[in-house]
Amino acid sequence: MSEAAHSSRRQPLWLTMLGLLTLVFMCLPVMIVVPMSFSSAQSLEFPPPGLSLRWYTAFFGNEVWAQAGVNSLLLATLASTIALILGTLAAYGLVRGVFPGKAVIEANFMAPMIVPSIITAVALFIVFAKLRILGTFFGLVLGHTILVIPYVVLIMQVAIRAFDVRIEHVAATLGASRMLILCKIVLPNLLPSAAAAWIFAFVISFDEVVVTLFLAGTNMTIPKRMFNELIMQINPTITAVATLLIGFNILALFLILALSRRGTHLRKGIV
Amino acid sequence: MAAVSDAGEVYPSRHQRRWEGFGFLAPLLFFALIVFDVPLLIVVFWSFSDPDTGFPSLGTYAAFIESGSYARIIWRTFLIASEVTIATALIGYPLAYWISRLEQRSQFIAIGLVTMTFWVSILVRTYAWIVMLGNGGILNRWLQSLGIVSRPMEFLYNEGGVAVGMINVLLPFLVLPLYAAMRRVDPRLLHVAETLGASQLQIFWRVFFPLTAAALGASMVLVFILSLGFYITPAILGGGRVPLIANMMDLLINKFARWEMAAVNSVILLVVTLAFYGLYQRLREKAA
Repeated sequence: MSEAAHSSRRQPLWLTMLGLLTLVFMCLPVMIVVPMSFSSAQSLEFPPPGLSLRWYTAFFGNEVWAQAGVNSLLLATLASTIALILGTLAAYGLVRGVFPGKAVIEANFMAPMIVPSIITAVALFIVFAKLRILGTFFGLVLGHTILVIPYVVLIMQVAIRAFDVRIEHVAATLGASRMLILCKIVLPNLLPSAAAAWIFAFVISFDEVVVTLFLAGTNMTIPKRMFNELIMQINPTITAVATLLIGFNILALFLILALSRRGTHLRKGIV
Repeated sequence: MAAVSDAGEVYPSRHQRRWEGFGFLAPLLFFALIVFDVPLLIVVFWSFSDPDTGFPSLGTYAAFIESGSYARIIWRTFLIASEVTIATALIGYPLAYWISRLEQRSQFIAIGLVTMTFWVSILVRTYAWIVMLGNGGILNRWLQSLGIVSRPMEFLYNEGGVAVGMINVLLPFLVLPLYAAMRRVDPRLLHVAETLGASQLQIFWRVFFPLTAAALGASMVLVFILSLGFYITPAILGGGRVPLIANMMDLLINKFARWEMAAVNSVILLVVTLAFYGLYQRLREKAA
């Protein structure tokens, strides 16, 4: 390390303290919730008086939580799969197509990410009530799909843009149709990105609360049940649920990073 | 490289049609129209029609203004969003600056931690504050066992509690793009300033800060937009006592069944959000 570079890295003590404190503040929720979930105590004592898995047993032994878990998994799987199919096709059309109004259409696909989800929730609530699909699982899948679409389109657009178009030209010259090119040449090469986009969409759907609260009716999901329990009382089982969610999300993050190392271009699309 | 980006838009087919490739996005466009665009238009339409007769009317907007309580909640939402945005910037900028000047390995770890918090669901991060600061939470148990207080103190269920939770959730949205912008600053500019005899303070305020100001502005607008639409954090940490606009919309739909008033609030929130989003895009172009 050169002298100059070193001197530029000397930082005042107050800045180091402020930086560290802010970082701790950001990590505090995780640092507290995870150890608390292994507590043997009924009340919220920190540090926990003893270790136990009783809150995990309580979670896995509870039928309502189990049903909520099944619903959440099914919902996230359906929404992210539909979004991946529609979103990948659309991303291909946006990157390689030639037609007027492309920017407007692209903005339209991004809009559900920008419009506050409470507005989407109200709009879908009113329309689904009229269509009599409010409170159905089908309606919930539709709502989640539209919420995760922007992320899929975004990631797949970056991936397709980075794919050498000349390879497609060669295939076209040899007489392949566009659909054949997409399915046989582009997609096999973009599988890591597609997997990452799917996981991304899955996590967002799995954690979603607001639209779910409006559309779910009696259908229970993990975040919805967690939200309802929180409003009512403090139940240590929630710390176990929260810890499982933290572990699940961090696992997904690592998967996406691993996939993006294989699909070289993906990274800047995410971080 | 140039060949790729030039050709990226154009397909080699000699007989180019004007709607080349449109078929690929037609399914999603249809889906988005049905599940997003039309519902939003219906909300706008509802806000401008009479709830009983269905005829066009500004009656709901008039009732909105007359009541005053809606405007009060929107005003409060603006105030809290502004406070949260300023506080997030005040602690987020130094954090990003500090991280950007650490050595490579520490930078990697710090940004990894920030990214991790970004990935933990908002619900979980909000819930943790109940565990820590709630009436039966960790801090109150300590205070009581140490005999400092006899009854639990109310740290939450007020605006301060909501603000702490929101700042915690929103910090990564500011820190991550800001860190990226700071890494883009050419270190040679700082060296030149140093060689010319500028003090560290002068280098920061006259060279470094102006170069990152647009990115700071863009991130602050983003944080502000996000805070306007917050629902979960005020619902949980506000204990029903600190309703923001999103919580009021929830009550209007799910409790009072006043859909047309919820529609009016949606339209107002939508217009404000889109206006600030336009500002965000302009600042982001400046920052890049």
